[in-house]
Amino acid sequence: MLLTTPTHAATYYLTVAGLGGEPDYEQRFGLWAGEIEAILKSSGGDAKVETLKSAEATRANVRAALEKIAQEAKSQDALVVMLIGHGSYDGVDYKLNLPGPDLSAADLAALLNRVPATRQLVVNMTSASGGAMSSLRKENRVVITATKTGAERNATVFPRFWVEALRDPAADTDKSETISALEAFHYAQHKITEYYESQKRLATEHALLEDTGKGEGVRAPSAENTEGLRAAAFPLVRLGAATSIANNPEKMKLFEKKEQLEQQIDELKYNKAAMQPDQYKKQLTALLVELAKTQEELEK
Amino acid sequence: MKQRVQRRGAETPRRPGGRLSRYLCITALISLTSVQAQTLERAESLWKLDNYDAANNAFRDLVKAHPKNPDYRVRWGRLFLERFNTAEAAKLFGEALAIRKDHPGALMGLALVAADGFEAKAVEYAQQALMADPKLTEAHVLLARLTLEDNDAKKAAEEADKALVISPQTLDAMAIHASIDWLDDKDDNSDTPWIRRILALDPHYGEAYAMGARFFILNRRYQEGIRFYRKAIEIQPDLWSAHSQLGINLMRLGFEDEAKAQLEDCYQHHYRDAATVNTLTLLDSYRNFVTYRDGNTILKLHRKEAALLRPYFESEMKHALATYEKKYGLKLDKPVQVEVYPDHEDFAVRTMGLPGLGALGVTFGYVVAMDSPSGRKAGTFHWATTMWHELSHVYVLTATQHRVPRWFTEGMAVYEETAASPEWGDRLDPQVIHAIKSKKLLPVAELDRGFVHPTYPSQVVVSYFQAGRICGFIEHEWGYAKLLAMMHDFATSATTVEVIEKELGMKPEEFDKKFLAAVDAETKTVVAGFEDWRKGLKEVAALAKAGDSPQVIEKSEAIRDIYPDYVEAGSLYEFRSDAYLALNNKAAAIQELEHYAKIGGRSPETLKKLATLLVEAGRPADAAAALDRLNYINPVDEDLHRRLGDLWFAQNNNDGAIREYQAVLAGKPIDPATAHFNLAKAYRRASRLENARDELVLALEAAPGYRPAQKMLLELSQSEQGK
Repeated sequence: MLLTTPTHAATYYLTVAGLGGEPDYEQRFGLWAGEIEAILKSSGGDAKVETLKSAEATRANVRAALEKIAQEAKSQDALVVMLIGHGSYDGVDYKLNLPGPDLSAADLAALLNRVPATRQLVVNMTSASGGAMSSLRKENRVVITATKTGAERNATVFPRFWVEALRDPAADTDKSETISALEAFHYAQHKITEYYESQKRLATEHALLEDTGKGEGVRAPSAENTEGLRAAAFPLVRLGAATSIANNPEKMKLFEKKEQLEQQIDELKYNKAAMQPDQYKKQLTALLVELAKTQEELEK
Repeated sequence: MKQRVQRRGAETPRRPGGRLSRYLCITALISLTSVQAQTLERAESLWKLDNYDAANNAFRDLVKAHPKNPDYRVRWGRLFLERFNTAEAAKLFGEALAIRKDHPGALMGLALVAADGFEAKAVEYAQQALMADPKLTEAHVLLARLTLEDNDAKKAAEEADKALVISPQTLDAMAIHASIDWLDDKDDNSDTPWIRRILALDPHYGEAYAMGARFFILNRRYQEGIRFYRKAIEIQPDLWSAHSQLGINLMRLGFEDEAKAQLEDCYQHHYRDAATVNTLTLLDSYRNFVTYRDGNTILKLHRKEAALLRPYFESEMKHALATYEKKYGLKLDKPVQVEVYPDHEDFAVRTMGLPGLGALGVTFGYVVAMDSPSGRKAGTFHWATTMWHELSHVYVLTATQHRVPRWFTEGMAVYEETAASPEWGDRLDPQVIHAIKSKKLLPVAELDRGFVHPTYPSQVVVSYFQAGRICGFIEHEWGYAKLLAMMHDFATSATTVEVIEKELGMKPEEFDKKFLAAVDAETKTVVAGFEDWRKGLKEVAALAKAGDSPQVIEKSEAIRDIYPDYVEAGSLYEFRSDAYLALNNKAAAIQELEHYAKIGGRSPETLKKLATLLVEAGRPADAAAALDRLNYINPVDEDLHRRLGDLWFAQNNNDGAIREYQAVLAGKPIDPATAHFNLAKAYRRASRLENARDELVLALEAAPGYRPAQKMLLELSQSEQGK
């Protein structure tokens, strides 16, 4: 999947680690937020990273940070908000536990709506985060929650595996040297399932993704349920020097050929079920060899 | 069922030991008052007509109308007991005893409930019932049955005789005698004087054969058990309990079609106890399993993990079978089947109605059923140990034609676990230490009792330990050949007493003394110092939490050698390793974890940590060995296979790398492109270029722009063109 990042666009990242309640959680939340910050800062690109944790993670500071982004960001920019901590849901409203007054989903949605960046991603990794879905979803916004409803109230392991997704090259399943929001979601989901299975514990969290602006969120985004398209095209972390080769006019011809080959491969894969396996393999191999040669030429 | 109940009424006078006593009891009750009599009579009649719901309602009304009458509660409890609801039955018997504390019927009911769950309390209740009513033949029969379950035929016969003295026509007491003869092979195609007596009184008394069948099954003589259930059904076609047991045991031996037919027949005839229904459900679930046949092995694995587990299980199975064939000097005449259940509940269905732990694996002749590593919390289950344990049973049971006391076959199996690898098997655990300290180990001649009717919660575990150590002790003192000689003696139906006397040249009591002396010598440090160790461990844990690493090392040093076998969660090795790491002494940290692994520590996290440290210390071969241990503990781990594959690839162990990378793929990894590419690299190194090319295509199918895979594909294509 070709990730569509407009040229010269910036990405604003805001990570908030809320109240732990206990020293163990406090330390864990802060650690995860710190790791996210370190990964984002080292990934290069035009990343503007801000992290609020411990005593700094107040509602006022979250508001101030988002208001500042709202002033700076342009429409072609992207915004990523990641929430770690304990959440609560009273059947009506979701709240993130912060030092001082809590932050409700409605408050957060209002702040996000003021940010002109049209591409937005909110990753709510807290307990009960499913309760925030209906407030946060919006057109052009990808929303990921660690739980499927506000009733899943146990502390989540989602952040642990989300952090892992950001730093593990294995999360980059299409080898584009960029981890998309969808890839990170799949990675975390896979690891969470493994975690609960290996511990022989009943899973108390079921992550959801919503990026149509009108859905309830799904556990398995796919073409069938029309979820995941925007998340797949949302670059979260760049692993290498992934630059758009398409911007080089000298290589435009080769680049077009590459795109055509990729398209042919996609079409072939689409028709796989209807083809004889030998025929499919032969055609696929030929296209892949051609694509490899083209890529080699492009890199010369 | 219907016919049986009708006959039950007609035949009652001929069964004074069992049903007649109940009949007399009912008759006495009926004479109390006409209103009560009519109601009780109605409840009993409905029961006899198999109208269980109506009978249940009638009993409920009766108990409501006469809350102080314990007899009604007892009869109601017996209805529940017959209809598979032991919990409700026990409750009613308990209520009856609250009204009259020495009610013989209630005590008898509780004895039957306890016997159903192989609880040692059954004996106590039956004896109390006899004190309350010395003529209660049913209690004598139950005591005889329980004694025979412990393989004490002499006492069982004496107990059965007591029932026959009270009532000479007690069919179940005669069936105990017949069972003793059958178990002792004193029959001519199942014909014995006792069964002739029984059939002369009641030619349709299939329950006598069913009782014999049950004892065969308890003694793991499944083929004979099945034959006897068939005989039971032959003369009493509506004996659904026998149909059910026939079906269950056919399933256990792998005869699934006939098993299903028998169980469905039961279900159709409203015989729906938990074992019948759960076994039917299990048989239905078999469509989710795949069966692999390869020479002397048949492996049945769940579809979802078959590709991942097969290489590990199949090779280990073949290794174990080849080893045992040599050790036991026995070539099996057909393949052995191992069934692996990812859902522990499915596995549990296979062991329903059997005594003992049965928690990890169970052997039925040539069929072994066991938990899958995915069915247990990672690190709590060493599947290879369980497989070797169960496969040992296959050989010992075959060599003895299933005529072997439980302690010996379990002892051999436990002994073989650590013989396969010193790191395998179970360690001396706190329950066993407590049992040794409290002098709770049983005499060898009575050790079967510890497996079948435990008198304290951990006795089954303790009995496994003891049986294993007895075999180890015999091997140490007399050599392995002596164990084989004993095994062959048991094949002739010799008893434990006879075999010990013959092979070890001493009375069992003398053997017990020598064995206990050896156990005491081996365990005296831990037994004497256990409390100090426990207190010390607590202190070390607190120091570790406080981050006082020097103190953790110093304090743990003082207690480490008291109980070096402890490698469960929160072991001293882990505390010490963490402390050394905090002090930046990696070499010492590695040493601690190597001890942990060598003793048999199984935490995947800890063993992976050891592997990481070994890699950092420039010892990749040892790191690979540390990770390979985990293949026998928790192979359902993508990270493990990827790391081990990488290590083996770097060490030019191509076959090892291929196996591990294949395992990564079998686990449906998050990143299939890299997994296929890694496998392609290993194939290429092993000169399996066609396979390498296939894997590259699969890698690029998942990620067409994957540069390393593209490069290798071009290299392979160019080298092919150059040929």
